[in-house]
Amino acid sequence: MAEQPYIGRKEKAPDRVAFVSGRAHFSSDFAFEGQLHAHIIRSPHAAAKIRSVDLSGALKVSGVKIAIDGAGAAEHLDPIPHHIDPIVFGGRTTDLFCLAQDHTRYFGEPVAVVVATDKRTAQYAASRVVVDYEPTASVTDADLALKDDAPLVVLGWDDNSIMQVPFCGGDAEAAFKDADHIVKTQVRVHRQATQPIETRTYNAIWDEGGQSITLYASAQNPHPMRFALAKTLRMPENRLRVIAPSMGGAFGLKMHSHPEEALICLLAKLTKGAVKWTENREECLLIGGREQTHDIEFALREDGRILAIRDHFLANAGAPGATPGWGMAFLTGLTMPGPYDVGNLDVWANIVVTNKPPWSACRGFGKEITALALELCMDKAARELGLDPVEIRNRNFISSNDFPKKTATGLIYDSGDYAGALAKTVESIGYYDVKRNQEKWRGEGKYIGVGLGYEVTPEGGALPGTMVAGYDTSTVKVDPGGSVTILTGVTDPGGGNRIGIAQIVADELGVAIEAIRVLQGDTQTCPYGFGNYSGRSLIVGGGSAALAAQDIKEKIVKVAAALMEVEEGSIKIYRGVVTSSAKPESELSFNEVCYAAYTRAYDVAACIEQPLEATRTFKPGLISHLPDEQGKINPYPSYSNAAYAAVCEIDPGTGVVKLLKFAVTHDCGKAINPVLVEGQACGAVAFGIGGMMGEEIVFDEGGRQKTRNFEDYVMPRAADVPEIVMKHHDSPNPVTFMGLKGAGEAGVGGSAAAVVNAVNDALAHLGVEINDLPVTAPRIWSAIQKAQSAQKAAES
Amino acid sequence: MSLRVQYARPLNVDQTVALLGELSSGAVIIAGGQELMPFINYGRVSPSVLVDISGLKDLQNIETSDDGLSIGALTVHRDIQINPLINEIAPLLAHAALQIGGGRQVHNQGTIGGNIVAMHPLYDIIPALLVLDAEIEITSQQGSRIVSMADLINESNHKMGTHAVLTRVLIGNSPAGQGWGYEKLKITDGCYGSANAAATVCLAEDGQVQSVRLAIGAVTEKILNLSEDLATFLPASPDADLDSRIAGIVESAVEQPLSDQQGHGEYRRAMAGVVARKAFHQALDMARQDMALRERM
Ligand SMILES: Cc1cc2nc3c(=O)[nH]c(=O)nc-3n(C[C@H](O)[C@H](O)[C@H](O)COP(=O)(O)OP(=O)(O)OC[C@H]3O[C@@H](n4cnc5c(N)ncnc54)[C@H](O)[C@@H]3O)c2cc1C
Repeated sequence: MAEQPYIGRKEKAPDRVAFVSGRAHFSSDFAFEGQLHAHIIRSPHAAAKIRSVDLSGALKVSGVKIAIDGAGAAEHLDPIPHHIDPIVFGGRTTDLFCLAQDHTRYFGEPVAVVVATDKRTAQYAASRVVVDYEPTASVTDADLALKDDAPLVVLGWDDNSIMQVPFCGGDAEAAFKDADHIVKTQVRVHRQATQPIETRTYNAIWDEGGQSITLYASAQNPHPMRFALAKTLRMPENRLRVIAPSMGGAFGLKMHSHPEEALICLLAKLTKGAVKWTENREECLLIGGREQTHDIEFALREDGRILAIRDHFLANAGAPGATPGWGMAFLTGLTMPGPYDVGNLDVWANIVVTNKPPWSACRGFGKEITALALELCMDKAARELGLDPVEIRNRNFISSNDFPKKTATGLIYDSGDYAGALAKTVESIGYYDVKRNQEKWRGEGKYIGVGLGYEVTPEGGALPGTMVAGYDTSTVKVDPGGSVTILTGVTDPGGGNRIGIAQIVADELGVAIEAIRVLQGDTQTCPYGFGNYSGRSLIVGGGSAALAAQDIKEKIVKVAAALMEVEEGSIKIYRGVVTSSAKPESELSFNEVCYAAYTRAYDVAACIEQPLEATRTFKPGLISHLPDEQGKINPYPSYSNAAYAAVCEIDPGTGVVKLLKFAVTHDCGKAINPVLVEGQACGAVAFGIGGMMGEEIVFDEGGRQKTRNFEDYVMPRAADVPEIVMKHHDSPNPVTFMGLKGAGEAGVGGSAAAVVNAVNDALAHLGVEINDLPVTAPRIWSAIQKAQSAQKAAES
Repeated sequence: MSLRVQYARPLNVDQTVALLGELSSGAVIIAGGQELMPFINYGRVSPSVLVDISGLKDLQNIETSDDGLSIGALTVHRDIQINPLINEIAPLLAHAALQIGGGRQVHNQGTIGGNIVAMHPLYDIIPALLVLDAEIEITSQQGSRIVSMADLINESNHKMGTHAVLTRVLIGNSPAGQGWGYEKLKITDGCYGSANAAATVCLAEDGQVQSVRLAIGAVTEKILNLSEDLATFLPASPDADLDSRIAGIVESAVEQPLSDQQGHGEYRRAMAGVVARKAFHQALDMARQDMALRERM
């Protein structure tokens, strides 16, 4: 193994200043000659027949170039390919179009679009489009959607279920019969949204000469997006180029197959120009996720050991959408039973469509909800059995000796030390201090609680038959001048994985990091890749770049050995200086060797094949798509995990929660750059806190979304996020490069669970327990009021 | 919505009111734009003419006289927070301005006039002005008139921006020994208040509570001005009984509580009582400290 001056260091990204000073170029910063702007007309109804669309008013406005409705678009566009088609998993599917035709299924569904010379004219012209709607019955509640007389969200389906799917193993029924205790609860997770600072932008330019389209897009997956665009636009992929420039956050929202993507490309094609659309915050808030109701039960032995878990949950996935949103509920089921060694599993997911806007991927991709449901039920079990929450977890964790561990759903966990990570978190948060003083504080009227959460996050996923691939590819090129360019198929949502990849390659090649440039997010220049999701960017982007760098290094070593007339094995390259143990007195620069590699192809560099370029793919092991005897597969190579804890104080008079402290102990296998890992982990904590304490998307009775801006969708501010004590507890993954497990996705569910458990711990003496989320002050206050009046009633 | 917005930038108040008088009702004043611009961006309002008053120098100054303070309508929140005259004569107003959300950008841009004219139930300035018994100067082509803040919140057409300009905010000197308090209850840091209360308290020589002024925001569509309701049982001793009376008056004054992201109606009503008591006690403590200080001198 090469020396590693860079790996493990808090290396700073060279473009960080551009990012924070507004000088990075985002998709909407690109403007072209004759730039046109699109404005989308959206349905004001949750469900309606579209009797007619009259575009004539808009077309009369000077400056308007084109206006089309669903029927008009359908002349040019095929249905959008599903990012993950439910039919692949045995579910129901339906064709999805960029613009609604005949009827609309959700509030905010695109119905028509107007393109004009400037944004304002487009917006004005859009106000003159007359759509004749006939509102029809709608359903926004998942329970009601399953009733026999519920209106059908998708005409032609038998009912409103996308799929009902089991994740079972062992014999849960028998275990429940034998149990000493059964602990049950209902965990209701509300609809939330991911809100990157940069909303989505699609900025398309038609090239008449090349009969091709270049799309600047806030896109996590440029190549798969190009595939989907090609299908929808009826064009070959080689006439489409997707460029994903700097991104201001993604969190799953920017995974492809949104209706606006192909639509904007079509408009560029029809106008033979450049058409741009930037989502506004109201539009961004339409896209949600996470709304699931879990009826979860543990069968327990007297000593707190869990014998079986039953969880029949209902996911309200909104109207069908082509983005991978619905799949989150599938993964909630697959990730059961999290970190716990429970072989008897009776888990069923019922994924339901309603007339809410469709889901799109949200950070955690359903795996965070597994953690929430399990961890809330775990604390309830601890309370009911009179066990300490640390103790009951320790009695049920998979032992660190049991890896690789196949779970009841067929996943194969690579490695971990769950009890070890929890112990570190328990220490960081001062868990036992809180427990010791809690009674005393209560006597003083201070309601302080401590809560834990554990999350196992399968990362680097590969779903067979979909564009969710487990591998990725990088090209490393070294120029005659010695500078290094890495072209990779993984993209950067804004977290800075570029610098991590550069650190890996710098160490592999033995060059200074300043010599390296990483280019991502361009289908024309980068190797075919799958982009960013599932915490994969360093596992497969870094891993493939390392392999390519190793190939090139081999050539450079050969040339250096020839130049120095020594054995290859004696060559060492460190920070751009080439030395040989055989000739300690002489040295060459890395750049000199590179120059010779290109220019002396017929003498010293005859031993290699030019150029100094290599393209390699990293395909992590452990993934198995061949079903086992029970038909189960393991779509993940890697299982990052972390222990979370929160301490909170609640004002019983107002229900306001103040978080006093937070602790995380994270196992990402190996931290290439601790700043990147900690940044991601802190972000996940803020996400978890926000989701539990403020963020909630609500609808009125008619199914119209009420939460439309940041006045109503309140994300946490700095003052809401307490000090976070961060520790690492890495168990390297045996099947990935350097043991990497992924660090970009995990933590939303574990930290959310820690917050809720802390709240319930603070209120336990009142008999208050809230598993109907979020745990906002008004709900806490109401729960306290209810408990107090029940107590009064009992006393009198 | 109108496509081409006209923009006017009058040089003084006379020009402004003359312009407003000439224009149709589609004309709208813009000051700091912190309320208006989000509305325009979302297409909720679409003025045909924007009359930008932000350059009117006469409305940016803060003056004092024997009668008290006179604050120009264009004074931004940040200046209200840090101005020494305001901090001396009406520290409650400076404090309330500090509670405004949105961060420095909003504080440096949003004006006191715009905040008042918006008459937004969740905003912080009006409750403070109500308990300070402030008066508002409104100027139109017909001239200037002075209205008390208490009367202005009852005027149905306070949206003066289409024909008149709010020019100044006048605050009299406070009685000696008056204590004040302001309590804003927020669910999280980025939220608007779920209930806001401003209070002042004056004590009699014997320590009895002589007068209480109290206003509650963020609980009902119209900000509640409860000073008169409280006067009926004053003077009174500052005890638990007075506390529960205050909470009782407040809660019963909340007829149709707001119900939104900041909390449901029942919560808002209860929180009105909570913030009222807290603001009252802050004011009471301050008045007591002041009295103790005077006794020592
Ligand atoms: C993110 C954010 C958070 C905020 N949080 C709070 C908060 O917590 N508490 C709070 O109190 N406020 C808050 N505000 C509102 C802020 O205080 C506004 O600045 C203020 O209410 C409006 O002042 P403006 O000068 O920007 O008004 P503008 O937006 O310019 O105008 C507002 C309205 O008043 C009219 N108008 C303005 N000036 C005059 C005048 N002199 N005469 C007649 N009509 C006039 C306009 O025509 C318009 O109808 C927040 C604003 C933002 C953007």
